[in-house]
Amino acid sequence: MAGLSLPRRILRVRPADGPAMLAGAIIAVPVVSVLVAALLMGGGEAWDHIRRTLMMPYLGGTLGTLAMAAGFMLVFAVPAAWLVTMYDYPGRPVFEWLLILPLAAPGYVLAYAWGDLMGVGGPLQSALREMTGWAARDYWFPSMRSMPGLAFVLASGLYPYVYLTARAGFVSQSVCALEAARSLGASPLRSFWNVALPAARPAIAAGLALAMMEVAADYGAAEYLGVPTLTFGIVRAWKSFGEPAAAARLAMILLVLVVGLVLAERRSRGRAGSQQSSTRWRSVSRTRLRGPAAWSAAAFCLTGFTIGFIMPVGRLVWRAAEAHETIAPVGEALKNTLILAGSGAVFAFVLALVIALAGRGKGPGAAFARLTASSAYAIPGAVLALGALVVLGGLGLTLTGIVPVVALAWVYASRFTAAGAEPMVAALDRAPASLGQAAESLGASAWRRAREVDLPIALSGASAGALILFVESLKELPATLMLRPFSWDTLAVRANAYAADERLAAAAVPSLMITLAGLVPVILLSWRLSHARPGEQA
Amino acid sequence: MSEVLSAHNVSRSYGPANVVESVSLALQPGAITALLGGSGAGKSTLLRLFAGLEPVDRGEIRLGDRVLSSPGSTLAPEKRRIGLIFQDFALFPHLTALQNVMFGLKALGREPARIEAEGWLHRLDLTARAGAFPHELSGGEQQRVAIARALAPKPAAILMDEPFSGLDPALRSYVRDAALEAVREAGIPALLVTHDPVEALDSADHVAILKSGQLQQEGPAAEVYLAPVSADVAAALGPVTRIRAGEVPAGLAEVPAGHELVVRPEGVVLEEGAAVRARVVTSQLTGAMNRVVMDMDGQRIVALVPRTGAPHPGDEVGLRLDPALAFIFPSGAT
Repeated sequence: MAGLSLPRRILRVRPADGPAMLAGAIIAVPVVSVLVAALLMGGGEAWDHIRRTLMMPYLGGTLGTLAMAAGFMLVFAVPAAWLVTMYDYPGRPVFEWLLILPLAAPGYVLAYAWGDLMGVGGPLQSALREMTGWAARDYWFPSMRSMPGLAFVLASGLYPYVYLTARAGFVSQSVCALEAARSLGASPLRSFWNVALPAARPAIAAGLALAMMEVAADYGAAEYLGVPTLTFGIVRAWKSFGEPAAAARLAMILLVLVVGLVLAERRSRGRAGSQQSSTRWRSVSRTRLRGPAAWSAAAFCLTGFTIGFIMPVGRLVWRAAEAHETIAPVGEALKNTLILAGSGAVFAFVLALVIALAGRGKGPGAAFARLTASSAYAIPGAVLALGALVVLGGLGLTLTGIVPVVALAWVYASRFTAAGAEPMVAALDRAPASLGQAAESLGASAWRRAREVDLPIALSGASAGALILFVESLKELPATLMLRPFSWDTLAVRANAYAADERLAAAAVPSLMITLAGLVPVILLSWRLSHARPGEQA
Repeated sequence: MSEVLSAHNVSRSYGPANVVESVSLALQPGAITALLGGSGAGKSTLLRLFAGLEPVDRGEIRLGDRVLSSPGSTLAPEKRRIGLIFQDFALFPHLTALQNVMFGLKALGREPARIEAEGWLHRLDLTARAGAFPHELSGGEQQRVAIARALAPKPAAILMDEPFSGLDPALRSYVRDAALEAVREAGIPALLVTHDPVEALDSADHVAILKSGQLQQEGPAAEVYLAPVSADVAAALGPVTRIRAGEVPAGLAEVPAGHELVVRPEGVVLEEGAAVRARVVTSQLTGAMNRVVMDMDGQRIVALVPRTGAPHPGDEVGLRLDPALAFIFPSGAT
């Protein structure tokens, strides 16, 4: 079966593939219905208006933000990954994992904090005026409420994707190749530029593509900073114009962009190999930096961590403490969040388990389901929510009673199942194939084998996956805004509402709670990163 | 004019562990020196000290009269002009075979570098593979590209770290012959790190035996093989049977108390009329010769004999030792 192409594999469905096919279908329906709506439903009056006056700003906003954010991320994350991998300097072992902490805070939380930090009344400008005696109109100060500002904010929280994959790319390449370059007369800089960087390029491109998908999916930061983007437009077309069909057309454009990103990433791999031809692993012997070089390296890493984490999170803590905010006002939102993110995580977990166990993630049904799951992972929550709304509308259902809870759990599951399924499939992959054969030779039926052999193995890879599912669901903003039950606020929705009212101290509490939850999987990842055996990709 | 690459009382330690201890070794131009030893003996570290990939804690590395490494001062690898060949090939994955070979020829300018690199690929029978990326090449092809890449810039010396052990046996001797021929022609000092005694004896002019970071013996290969200074050196160059003084069967050899008998299998001669008798336990054809395991009063001894006339299990045979291949060393000195 391995030799067949994917479509052929999917066509060779057996009854046993049913559950995985169903799981794949459940994941695929929201995005498919958006496409159907975009192509078949008329755009309505709103579409004309959007097309004529808003389309270009939306498209320009998204493209511009993507390009600038990519630039910011590459300029910081790639050198940081190189420093951490190849050199020793004060604080290096700590920076290695500190640098991924910014992943914990979602973009909208960073936007609230940076908007406040850099605003006219914020601490930076106040200090500047105090030191110089200038008035607010006497000087120019970079504004966060601009496209570069949005790109900066999103990049400051998403650069760890690029840092992580670049680091993995640098770590996994044979040190021998770098030593060979040196022995062939290349300086350390030329070795980096001509050997290490090209070899790590596919890894860097993969991380960048992932980060760019998150940039494209952002709604909260763009809305708060007032930068029109496609995702912002989708939510607005649905919310303000009440036009799912117009929203669906915008969503289709966004989808084309996302698909383009995926293809660009694939293409960047090209024919040149990035895989090591090496069979032998030798750990990196880091060069010890001394004097100014050592301090510059440490300062470089510290700057990234400060911008991505200390400043925004510190600012929110400061604002909350200053106003003596407590968690009491968001108690209800916390409960709602746990219910919604919990049901989303459970739904996604069940789908992930079905996919993993169907032919140990290898059968045709599982191949289809994994394909849809990994595709849906790249699709903005706003688009999936729109798809769910289209389906509900088609079925004549309204967002009352249990319907919105189920719909949200469905959208969460559609978006995040891949994050749960992949660790399980990986756990099964690591187990030798002979385990199953041993079970069969001992007379176990397929069902008993799945239950007593594959399931326990899959679950060993599932705890981290389940945690990620829960935290991702909890951070999700636009889909939650669009689908939540009437007057059911989650932490993310509360933070968004407070921030929109410029009640930043109040927004700080739910924002910090989300960040705190986000820290759990990130710290887990850091731990794995610092405890990974040499040669193993974390 | 090629110069000698030499280590003078070189030491290197990682924390408290001395990985290389007071090693002096001179690599002569035009000769291949095999550095033998078990894993952890310090072979690769010594190679890295020569290459400048690690600093020396004590002693000096010199090329001719020029000091390359001394404590606190290490000439960067890119300034030494010493070629390296690795077990894992270490080809640059994003460059074609031709581009890999051109990498070290930057100083020539693009076109001359290409011509030179093509010449090397031709020499190593790789012309047809010039445009292939490393992952498209077989193991043997990859290693030949690595050899061409290391030799193309005309290095002052070449260091090879188990370069052939990643290749499958059928390919190994072909790649090795091609590689070492090119190395010999270059007329530069060459160091071949290996743990395979057969490879060392097959291809090296000199051998040096390292154990626990210390140099045990070095010299022309045949000399070291026939006159090892210790049981360990003898064992490093091929299989031996070791029997302690009190346990040597009567009449086989006179071994003083506190010593041991060390004998190579081809030093055990089966002879019809010999006074010392043994019973054959197994007799197995292992390539060119039969490996015969014999029992003498509970002591096992191994002989290599031609297939024709080899005894059968259960046979009683007479044997004597060839004095050139049997040695007596103080025992316990490991």
